Amino acid sequence: MNRQELFTLFSEDLFIPSLKAKDRDGVLQEMVDHAAAAGVIRDRDVILGMLKNRESLGSTGLGEGVAFPHGRSLAIPSLMAFFARSVKGVEYGAIDGKPVKLFFMFIAPPIEKENRYLPALGQVVELIRDAGTREQLLQVAGYEQFRQIILGDGEESE
Amino acid sequence: MNEQLMLLVALQDLDTMIRETQDKVHATKLANMGFALEGVDDLRNAREELAGSIEKALLHRYERISQRLGRAVVPITSNVCLGCFAVIPTAYTSMENREKILYCENCGRILYWPRGT
Ligand SMILES: [Zn+2]
Repeated sequence: MNRQELFTLFSEDLFIPSLKAKDRDGVLQEMVDHAAAAGVIRDRDVILGMLKNRESLGSTGLGEGVAFPHGRSLAIPSLMAFFARSVKGVEYGAIDGKPVKLFFMFIAPPIEKENRYLPALGQVVELIRDAGTREQLLQVAGYEQFRQIILGDGEESE
Repeated sequence: MNEQLMLLVALQDLDTMIRETQDKVHATKLANMGFALEGVDDLRNAREELAGSIEKALLHRYERISQRLGRAVVPITSNVCLGCFAVIPTAYTSMENREKILYCENCGRILYWPRGT
């Protein structure tokens, strides 16, 4: 999956530059509520329960202030990708114990013909290993800028 | 939305997660990304608890269909059962009927509308 294909999974409706939540469950709830309000998901409790169960399997906070809550649910009609940021950071139980500020959520249906779920998740994990990209995302002002960061626009000129 | 149906959807999500966690190919992909998959016992406990809140006859039917067909609850899109691709009867789509637990006439799976339409 290239960066253009990856970016097309993120919609402007699912973009929160400043989360209000102050803890892990609060972040998951705020993001799921937002997706429900945007009409992307209907049965929010099912999705929220799935995401919490996934965290009990091992934190999706991979360190350096980034978490990737993810999983499959029958309650999502098609693959959903969602970016959110907490300016202050929240206690997430991340593997390095640091507060998390950047959240990439991926929710996939149980069967997905295009099979983009794990490739997309892997691609974002890879992009985020770069400290410069993380720094840009911490400063992101809007969706258009988010687009440029994910696409890697301007990298050649640097 | 029918509460028992919601519980069945949640149960199937958990069963999917447990199955994927135990799937070596899937677990290796996630491990390579850096994700630990350690708490599968917690998932099994959560599953038992959830199963306990589902009506016995319904749970029994869920387990039976799962064993036979792999997936007991299936989504409907464009009035088609995604378990067997049979078209479902128009009467099933009334709001009244959506409050009931309905089974595909062709494959017997439990039907669910993920889009609400
Ligand atoms: Zn069917």
